[in-house]
Amino acid sequence: MFILDTDCHNYWCSATVLEPYMEGLFKDMFIRGEKTGPRGAFPHGHRPWFHPEGFARHDVNPVEEDDNYLIMKEKHLDKYAIDIAILTGDEPIEASTLANPYYANALCKAYNDYMIDYWLPKDSRFWGSMVVAPQDPKLAAEEIRRIGSHPHIVQVLVSHGAQRPYGDPFYHPIFEACAEMGLPFAMHLGGQGGVNSTPIGAGPSTFFWETHAILPQSAMTHMASLIAQGVFEKWPDLKVVIIECGVAWVPSVLWRLDSNYRALRKETPWLKRLPSEYFKSNIRMSTQPLEQPQNIQHLWATLEAMDGENTLLFASDYPHWDYDDVTKLHIPPAWREKVLGLNALDIYKRIPRPAAMAAK
Amino acid sequence: MASKHFACKALEVPSDAAKIVTIGKLSLGLFKLNDGFHALLNVCPHRGAALCEGPVCGTTGQTDKTEFIYERAGELVRCAWHGWEFDIRTGEFLVDRSLRARSFPVSLEGEDIYVHI
Repeated sequence: MFILDTDCHNYWCSATVLEPYMEGLFKDMFIRGEKTGPRGAFPHGHRPWFHPEGFARHDVNPVEEDDNYLIMKEKHLDKYAIDIAILTGDEPIEASTLANPYYANALCKAYNDYMIDYWLPKDSRFWGSMVVAPQDPKLAAEEIRRIGSHPHIVQVLVSHGAQRPYGDPFYHPIFEACAEMGLPFAMHLGGQGGVNSTPIGAGPSTFFWETHAILPQSAMTHMASLIAQGVFEKWPDLKVVIIECGVAWVPSVLWRLDSNYRALRKETPWLKRLPSEYFKSNIRMSTQPLEQPQNIQHLWATLEAMDGENTLLFASDYPHWDYDDVTKLHIPPAWREKVLGLNALDIYKRIPRPAAMAAK
Repeated sequence: MASKHFACKALEVPSDAAKIVTIGKLSLGLFKLNDGFHALLNVCPHRGAALCEGPVCGTTGQTDKTEFIYERAGELVRCAWHGWEFDIRTGEFLVDRSLRARSFPVSLEGEDIYVHI
């Protein structure tokens, strides 16, 4: 079966790999400036919750830079016969936490150039996500236009931690650039620190596991905002991929949005369809970490309510602690072919379909 | 076949709200628009609430950009409970036109309004 992993993290041992891709003031800042950790740490405003064990799998222990690929190849790509892996970086999306948008943008640019140079040529299964710093949407749009036409870049990626809901017109220059380049806009769990000061409603929770379970809160806000602000009326072909933000909450939020819209559509006269219809046509959810109720039927009824057969995209989240193994993904068996690969091909149009068909 | 029932006097129907009347077991709302009188069943097809006791109002017209064009003032009623907007003339629900509030033909004889049920 054709397997496309929509969330495969390409790690580095040290962020110093970005040095050759930086220049001028920001290179000086990157080398000599203060950062969150010792030399080699990626500059970012850190979240106030620390994973008690570190959030990477403990059987993935690279020493040299090249180990990052070799271990991924052995323990993930080859082991599970992954046909295509969409690289989602790791720390770079944390650039969204920095107050200085120019520095954040410089770091994203350096990462994108490094990813194109170092990672994409390593394996024919790799396709890239370009990272942008959403704090300055005009700079982000410039970056999207700078490298967004690279044939192996398949999406624009940000953290789901943000300074405001992503449907806000403030961010529309990003969507305009995505639409122009034909790239989906993706948000991945992360960026819960620094200037992104409201990752949790009602104020900061206390423990890591507790917090990690409720982080999808802000994804709910982003989904509602993207729909209500008419992003999918302005750019009907734009696709939004929500990565690692949970899945089972989606139907309940859509039910609530539809219900309120029926009563108060006059607040947003630019909408022409029910919120749930925009979700089904324009938004996709990555599976990992797929909720695990005791009774699997409870999950499957929920997935059915969000048209999961067509709206879910398989993700492993390699090599994180809550990794989902493709062979054990607990979705309805009849959906496997679509969720494990084919749905993603409808979203990531630059990935050629013939390759997928050959893999079948 | 429809039968004709006296509803109320024309002067009893305000132009900014419905006049609620009871005919047999039915509660109805009588509305005065610039083209005459209209009658809707006072039961919302959504949850059965007192549809006609909600505000008579206008709404924003469909648009392609971020703008608010207020239109159809006085031609809509918002259900008293959940606020669904209905076209007083046709009973159509604005968000889903396949759903309608039940409407009845109205005739005016002198000062008397009749509803045909």
